[in-house]
Amino acid sequence: MSTIRKLNHVWRIFATGFVFVMFGLGALFISLTVFPVLRLVSRHPEAARRRIQRAMQTTMWLFMELMRVLGILTYRVEGLERLNVPGRLVVANHPTLIDVVMLVSLMPAVDCIVKRGLWRNPFLRWPVLWAGYLPNSEGEELVEACASTLRKGNSLLVFPEGTRTVPGEPLRMQRGAAHIALAADAELLPVTIACDPPTLFKGNPWWRVPAHRFHLQVNVGAPLAAASFRREGEAGSRAARRLTEWMRTHFDSTRLAAPVSTWMELEHPERPGLIEGGSPLRG
Amino acid sequence: MSVTIKSRDEILAYLRQILVELFELKPEQIVPEANLYTDLDIDSIDAVDLILKLKDLTGRKIQPQTFKNVRTVGDVVDAIEVLLANPA
Repeated sequence: MSTIRKLNHVWRIFATGFVFVMFGLGALFISLTVFPVLRLVSRHPEAARRRIQRAMQTTMWLFMELMRVLGILTYRVEGLERLNVPGRLVVANHPTLIDVVMLVSLMPAVDCIVKRGLWRNPFLRWPVLWAGYLPNSEGEELVEACASTLRKGNSLLVFPEGTRTVPGEPLRMQRGAAHIALAADAELLPVTIACDPPTLFKGNPWWRVPAHRFHLQVNVGAPLAAASFRREGEAGSRAARRLTEWMRTHFDSTRLAAPVSTWMELEHPERPGLIEGGSPLRG
Repeated sequence: MSVTIKSRDEILAYLRQILVELFELKPEQIVPEANLYTDLDIDSIDAVDLILKLKDLTGRKIQPQTFKNVRTVGDVVDAIEVLLANPA
């Protein structure tokens, strides 16, 4: 390994640690400042919710840009405009720890499912409440809460695997996402995320950075109606199985085939910024 | 005794029929020892559908706690048997 590559490696370990610390401190900071202010200036809770979700997008975008500027990663999004249509159930595969940061940075308004423990946290309970995020309760209760927000016309982000993918193993899908889509009769928006080289995956500590900076490729697929999986006079549980199997096949066939630009190409990027359709903060 | 055994078999046969219909399972998978969650891949939302179906069979409201400790197909048969033997 050349000296330059060694230095780059050490730099990325340091930068990654720095971003982790910044993320923790940043979350606490905006929870105590920006979010309460947004809540106070909004007469209606719904207005506060919109503003806070928008602020969440900006914050996550800043983190993505911070990581890009520090040389930790590059990223590129295809089909960004599809993420701006409200009322959709956005389903994504889950290769890395930062998938949620990436996706929230691309959507001006999206509901997320977060750890219910946060509702007992004195600092973070208010932001998640004001943002209209959903606690990860179980079974029917969670499905109903998710379907309900979709019916109101909000978008919702769900990782159907329920946890990060284990590299080298087949995708294991839970059926919750399908149950939600069918209960709400929602439109499904499949988003494929590919990370090259693999990093921040399940079981990989943050300081074990890859051999070179990684590239996140986000491909937003075509929307499809959950209702198209229903058959006349048949139990909903069968439609949920078909829809789950469709997602598994879809993500399995696209997650590795996604056009992951290699590091070598990115050393000389044609277009810096690398977001198809421009920065989400514009327009 | 023979009456009880016959009705247990009948309950199992009926249960087999609805599990196949609801969850696309193979009839031979539905044996008393089969675990609903691990062997038959039935999740908690599926269980709600199943309980609704069983309501039709027993003709009475089923309290969720009746199925709280249910793990296997055999447990479901036991629960139905109790429900049928104790009319509300």
